[in-house]
Amino acid sequence: MGKGFRVHMQTDKLTFRTENRDGATVVHIAGELDLEVASQMRTAMEPLMQQSDRRLVLNLRDLKYIDSTGIGILIGVLKARHARSAPFAVEEVPDSVRKLFDMTGISPFLSAAEQSGETTNPTNNQ
Amino acid sequence: MKKEANVTLTVPAKPEYVDLVRLTLYGIAAKMNFSYEEIEDMKVAVSEACNNAVLHAYGEEESGTVEIIFAAADDEMLRISVRDQGGSFEPGPHRHASSLHGKSIEEIQSGGLGLYLMQALMDSVEVNTEQGTTVVLTKRRMTVEKV
Repeated sequence: MGKGFRVHMQTDKLTFRTENRDGATVVHIAGELDLEVASQMRTAMEPLMQQSDRRLVLNLRDLKYIDSTGIGILIGVLKARHARSAPFAVEEVPDSVRKLFDMTGISPFLSAAEQSGETTNPTNNQ
Repeated sequence: MKKEANVTLTVPAKPEYVDLVRLTLYGIAAKMNFSYEEIEDMKVAVSEACNNAVLHAYGEEESGTVEIIFAAADDEMLRISVRDQGGSFEPGPHRHASSLHGKSIEEIQSGGLGLYLMQALMDSVEVNTEQGTTVVLTKRRMTVEKV
């Protein structure tokens, strides 16, 4: 594990660690994000969601699995950041995860957040 | 697996057993030569069905089980039944499929996503609530000639 990382949560299934990057909090979520680890994940995210002055980035490069419970957590983060007009983005989304993001319809919200630097409604609302 | 083959798995209705169902599904679907992508799709769908059973079938004090039957037909089609013995037959959010498409950020919520994903990822989804809840998920292996 590299320097400057802080491990918040580690189970056999999911690792959640944060990194400071140019004034942003980058959260690396690795493993399987499902019902079993959902409440721990919510608890770990809670204080980070409330830091309105810092950009929050979720790095999903090593996320192997996500289900509707995990997507529900992302919805919660989106809403919380939107309510605070706080910057939020998701990066390095694996293809298998991207497919589920597209299917459920969360993708436009995530890319809207990425482009504007804060969470807004997607422009291509259809 | 030959013509008709069934594998039955019974697990406690607890979150920590859902990945066991995914592992079993992986083994069975790989034996049937489903593609990696098809297996990933089925993994999510079967987990969603199990999540619903874990979350909604039994009361807090109750301990129950979820029975999963994997039925392979002719090595081409996999039918997965996820059954609980829960008493919940009131229409909850899990009975209603709903996505985030066309909604505003204020409107989006996670209720209904599980069933929506099952329907999007499988060829068919049937929900029967006569005795407990049974969700039957079916997927046919993609063949060369696509209709």
